[in-house]
Amino acid sequence: MNNKFDALKDDDSGDHDQNEENSTQKDGEKEKTERDKSQSSGKRKAVVPGPAEHPLQYNYTFWYSRRTPGRPTSSQSYEQNIKQIGTFASVEQFWRFYSHMVRPGDLTGHSDFHLFKEGIKPMWEDDANKNGGKWIIRLRKGLASRCWENLILAMLGEQFMVGEEICGAVVSVRFQEDIISIWNKTASDQATTARIRDTLRRVLNLPPNTIMEYKTHTDSIKMPGRLGPQRLLFQNLWKPRLNVP
Amino acid sequence: MSSGSSCSQTPSRAIPATRRVVLGDGVHLPPGDYSTTPGGTLFSTTPGGTRIIYDRKFLMECRNSPVTKTPPRDLPTIPGVTSPVGGEPPTEAGQDHLSSSPEDKPAGGEESQFEMDI
Repeated sequence: MNNKFDALKDDDSGDHDQNEENSTQKDGEKEKTERDKSQSSGKRKAVVPGPAEHPLQYNYTFWYSRRTPGRPTSSQSYEQNIKQIGTFASVEQFWRFYSHMVRPGDLTGHSDFHLFKEGIKPMWEDDANKNGGKWIIRLRKGLASRCWENLILAMLGEQFMVGEEICGAVVSVRFQEDIISIWNKTASDQATTARIRDTLRRVLNLPPNTIMEYKTHTDSIKMPGRLGPQRLLFQNLWKPRLNVP
Repeated sequence: MSSGSSCSQTPSRAIPATRRVVLGDGVHLPPGDYSTTPGGTLFSTTPGGTRIIYDRKFLMECRNSPVTKTPPRDLPTIPGVTSPVGGEPPTEAGQDHLSSSPEDKPAGGEESQFEMDI
């Protein structure tokens, strides 16, 4: 906590003439206000690495979504189904979140974890995603926790070597199988998608017969049925935006 | 040429194959310095510029940092996700539960699979 406050104070240069106690209190209030505001605007106070922490190339945000059983898709579905868990800027901050979240294999029901670069929503119509696509790997039950961890560690550690192309990763827990996917910006960039595929094979240590499927987000929308469980995620995410009841 | 002879007198040394740096809890890494770490092996230059690259092993070692033991201050309480099912606020015991090693966790059809090789 102290680390975070110290870092935040560096950004708030206007507060430096105040004494320590008032300044801290004011920062706390301001942060609360910003957090309240973030519920609607999606904007957050800058997250920075604490002193002596290992910075990441990008900040990332954890999201969680869950389909409410038996509830029809409504205009509130987007807000109800996807929640921001938090944003981190350093390796240590990542572990603070990750160590206090259940692993995907222990999630119940129809749930997803999303880990996206800060500022990119885990939705196909985000500017960063709208021309993009994703590699999809279907996993038999029991593998999701391990594969998800390997996937996100590779992403955070910049193992994919595709410049700015990576947008985020998703793990989807379903009844018969689990699905992990990694999203990139430019679906038409075959050199990038091939490199992502090869890196996935390396870091996930997948069995040779594992099927990897690349899907553009526009195809996911046009042919939602072929996507199986993921279709529900997309419906939940984009229907409210289109005001479909 | 004196400069040439001094150059030839420089003894050659093998490039060390590995360099292991042990970081104690109190070690101070240079904050915000994107090009230097005590190990000197974490950052790499790519055609797109310098990027911060970490391998899996290093990231896993950072998991043991003391700061990771406490949850983020604004971690939302989501039963079954960030707190135990039932919606109790994350207590000290709850944190231990969530961050404990897999074999310590109850209800375990899938527990062993975390460590299982594919």
